[in-house]
Amino acid sequence: MFSLFYGLWKYMFSKTEFHVLILGIDKAGKTTLLEKLKSVYSNLEGLPPDRIVPTVGLNIGRIEVSNTKLVFWDLGGQPGLRSIWEKYYEEAHALIYVIDAASPSRFEDSKSALEKVLRHEDLQGAPLLILANKQDLSDAVSAEEIARYLDLKKLDERVYMFEAVSAYDGMGIKESVEWLVDSMERSKRTEMLRARAGATGPASA
Amino acid sequence: MGIVFTKMFSTLFGNREARILVLGLDNAGKTTILYRLQMGEVVSTIPTIGFNVETVQYNNIKFQVWDLGGQTSIRPYWRCYFPNTQAIIYVVDSSDTDRLVIAKDEFHAILEEEELRGAVVLIFANKQDLPGALDDAAVTEALELHKIKNRQWAIFKTSAIKGEGLFEGLDWLSNTLKSGGG
Repeated sequence: MFSLFYGLWKYMFSKTEFHVLILGIDKAGKTTLLEKLKSVYSNLEGLPPDRIVPTVGLNIGRIEVSNTKLVFWDLGGQPGLRSIWEKYYEEAHALIYVIDAASPSRFEDSKSALEKVLRHEDLQGAPLLILANKQDLSDAVSAEEIARYLDLKKLDERVYMFEAVSAYDGMGIKESVEWLVDSMERSKRTEMLRARAGATGPASA
Repeated sequence: MGIVFTKMFSTLFGNREARILVLGLDNAGKTTILYRLQMGEVVSTIPTIGFNVETVQYNNIKFQVWDLGGQTSIRPYWRCYFPNTQAIIYVVDSSDTDRLVIAKDEFHAILEEEELRGAVVLIFANKQDLPGALDDAAVTEALELHKIKNRQWAIFKTSAIKGEGLFEGLDWLSNTLKSGGG
């Protein structure tokens, strides 16, 4: 009984909660990014980069930015684990795609994985933020160069942005989050997800 | 004097305690895992009726590990141990493909429990030493782990007999619990 009222109360008064997927191939820096987000935007410490091990599963980060709640889903990027990515598409409001800008030998893998993600219809209309990560390393290429390399077709219908960041020292993180919040608030996909949630009631997955 | 230093050390470096439940169907390898973690040895076990509980000290965390019997008739009693649990280790016999569906159903029933809402979930795809054992990706698929969207989870390939993967799992647990959990 309590949980019924609690659910109802939560449904009526809670702030909008946005789900943001963090994807990218292994070693791109997704979990380091997540931990950085946590330490910048919440009072949690966040794990230091040297303690982070490859993700085999799901890491979650919850932060609050200007009255908006963001839930980040960070999924493992090793080839065998990429098959579960698509299971999270349907409920995602936006996508962050992380690329290690300092390892050109893996750009091709990164590119084909991203193209596959973008082809999936469950992610239609989701704002896309592509991060040229590891800018703290001297041989990292710029966001423009990454954009040129990826040469993504059909991006014109999707809201997207390239940003140079360093999940290690925090460069570009705030700009990224501001862009994300802003684009999600204005995106048609958000309206669509909201309408669907309203139709089926507060779902507890 | 030693005690003073130990105390200082643990206050300085954050010695924490966490209550962990080890769950899974019968014959998944829960008890073998518990004693492998605790003593570093393989012990011969008999089916657990009731529970085993041991403390494992690792990475500055004192894990109080509860290994609950996995047989059908005693699974309903798991619930008595749910309050105040920070993490669940769910053990699967990766070679017992016939019973993976049951393992999945039990697993998702556990996740529905109100008292375990805050617990993070670690899955051990155990018995990797046996022929025909499914790998981590296949067990992920079989257990439908993707349905978990509001808490952290991780899966590790383990062999309790050979001692592989277990401490990698504990590493993940201690990191996750330290960084604020699910």
